[in-house]
Amino acid sequence: MRLSRRGLLRAGLAGTAATALGGLASGCAVPTGSTGRNMVLWYWSGGLSDTVVKKAKARYDSSVDLDAIQIGGYYRSKLITTMTGQAHIPDIAGLKGEDMASYLPNADQFIDLRTLGAEKLKSQYLDWKWQQAVAPDGSLIGFPIDVGPVVQYYQPAVYEKAGLASEPDDVSSEMNTWDKFFAAGEQLRKRIPGTYILTDVGSVFEMSIGQGTTRFVDRDKHFIGDGQHVRDCWDRAVEAKRRGIVSDLVAGTPDSISATEKGRLPSQLNASWAAGDLKLQYPKTKGRWRVANCPGGPSNVGGSFLAITKACREPEKAFEIITWLLDADNQAQGFVDAGLFPSTPASYDMKKLREPDPFFGDQITMDVYGPAAEKIPVAFNSPFDVALGQPIRDEIKNVGVLGKDPKKAWRDAMSKCRRIADHLGVSH
Amino acid sequence: MATVPLVEKPPAPAVEPPPANPKKSIRSYWRLYAAISPFYLLFLAFGLIPVGFSLYLSFHRWDGLGSMEYAGLSQYKYLLSDTDFWSSIGNTIIIWALATFPMIFLAMVTAVMLNSAVRFKKIYRFAYFLPNVTSVVAVAIIFGSVFSTNFGLVNALLQAVGLDQVAWLNTPWGIKVAIATLMTWQWTGYNAIIFLAGLQTIPGELYEAARVDGAGPIQTFFRITLPMMRPVLLFVLVISTVTGLQSFSEPQVLLQTTANESTFSGGPDHAGRTMVLYFFQQTFDNNDFGYGAAVAWGIFLVVVIFSIINWRLVQRRGED
Repeated sequence: MRLSRRGLLRAGLAGTAATALGGLASGCAVPTGSTGRNMVLWYWSGGLSDTVVKKAKARYDSSVDLDAIQIGGYYRSKLITTMTGQAHIPDIAGLKGEDMASYLPNADQFIDLRTLGAEKLKSQYLDWKWQQAVAPDGSLIGFPIDVGPVVQYYQPAVYEKAGLASEPDDVSSEMNTWDKFFAAGEQLRKRIPGTYILTDVGSVFEMSIGQGTTRFVDRDKHFIGDGQHVRDCWDRAVEAKRRGIVSDLVAGTPDSISATEKGRLPSQLNASWAAGDLKLQYPKTKGRWRVANCPGGPSNVGGSFLAITKACREPEKAFEIITWLLDADNQAQGFVDAGLFPSTPASYDMKKLREPDPFFGDQITMDVYGPAAEKIPVAFNSPFDVALGQPIRDEIKNVGVLGKDPKKAWRDAMSKCRRIADHLGVSH
Repeated sequence: MATVPLVEKPPAPAVEPPPANPKKSIRSYWRLYAAISPFYLLFLAFGLIPVGFSLYLSFHRWDGLGSMEYAGLSQYKYLLSDTDFWSSIGNTIIIWALATFPMIFLAMVTAVMLNSAVRFKKIYRFAYFLPNVTSVVAVAIIFGSVFSTNFGLVNALLQAVGLDQVAWLNTPWGIKVAIATLMTWQWTGYNAIIFLAGLQTIPGELYEAARVDGAGPIQTFFRITLPMMRPVLLFVLVISTVTGLQSFSEPQVLLQTTANESTFSGGPDHAGRTMVLYFFQQTFDNNDFGYGAAVAWGIFLVVVIFSIINWRLVQRRGED
């Protein structure tokens, strides 16, 4: 067959047109949600246990095709873009804990789980966690996946060398307040020069905020970041700096990683899920870590939810799936597989969660995590907390890293907060 | 175009074309329009509509999910008084200047050397171009190590010559220098290749004439090479302005930490917070899409101003 140029062009054009038309036609028929058997679940890598997801697929195979998709990149922006675009909205969507406050004002985009009988299961979940998914109108938009109780990870050999308590129980009791923790930091630095109990002041500020019940903006959209509760956290961070127990390194940089390996930064205040990061980042330090309570009381960082979107055609089925995915047994599996700390206290006594952990010198870490998770205070998270907490966080960093005058830093933070509050329509 | 070209008109065609119906003629060209349409359709979908929507968005308040609320000019009013935005413009320009001028110098030197290289020309060109096609994220991670305080290559060199350590990624100027160095490293090779292309268009007779007149290599460079390269230099300047004003990945990756904090904050004192980084922080950290759009238009204006400056430079060149 001889191909003329014109013929080739025509064929190419026809092909392009057909593709375009096909795209348009299917574009017109874009389903906003599932059709019939399909049940799409969006989450992120490590957001759910792969084993549990696989089991769920098999378990519900007779009634739905559960299509669990791991979304990479900036999860929240992809989810809200899809929801705003009104096309291919997942039936079930993971919502990250730190984003939760920003979803609550748009509770109408999700199905109120109370209408599906969620209240009956409430007693099985941590109350403070449950409350985080309750929107201002009282509806429940998310079902708890995991929580992130904050603990102190520390290297007992270094503590021992400095003459400090080194057994987890002793560390928990002898450093139970911030003041005692700071005193221990001073002793540590005195006995082993160049060793710091804190990497940066930010963690003191952050964990202190998490230990309280009020944050930066209250329910009435009023700025309270200038209140005494924030000021106390600020002063505590400044004091840590003043007492010289904070390193000048940035967490996560090669400097801090090397210093941690050498025992120069023997302590970290971080959430339960950070244990996974420790194991990944410091494989050589296996057996040289222990877990103790966070000074000053329990606090939480992270932890997420599963929600059912308005686009879901079969909410009852979806609810059945998420409650199964997140029952006490499967949450225990989630902890084993992915380090997702259960929001179901019933899991804490299960045998597979009470295995000695060789990375932590065969400590049964659940003895520390479990009680901490149950005692986390219920706090109100405002959708404006991120914007109005940022200037304070930025300025405490300037105090910690650049040695900025704390009084001036606080004034700068407050004036910036007031400006942002005006802009966002938050009263002050 | 004041002078009339002294060219004779071509003789009129023997047969007049039939007076075409303009409507019909457009329709008869449909194949051609169809052939060029993909670009316009793609531009419409991914260029024009988003641009228009962002303008619309900048007059509203929107959290990205709920309903939009008309806000008039308030986002722009706030933008003008927003010291953070102004400081981000300052950061961007400082980093751009710190990166661009050394880069142009190094690229020129490299190009001259490449031009006179005899062996392995292609290998050199390939090697110099490589940094430009390497992922910025990977490069930024490497540079994070190079500039780290206790174990970085840079501080090791400083100490080798008896100087003190510098906490590069923990001081405002250190951050700017680190970002600028990264950008210099990434763009020197690319621009050297462009300079090389420019060098090769300079006719050899000019150099020959200079040699006959007794000019040395330095004089030749300043009297012949540099003036002949002006258009190429301007091109490089324009390109590096465009990329420099949009720097985002460099500070974002270089300054990110594992601490539970925003990856868009740009380090201590926001020293590395560029305009685009600030835009991301406002839009995606604060969920303030309306203000984010206003910031984007602010960035657009800054880029326009720089484009006008560049254009004026090129224009003046044309008038010479």
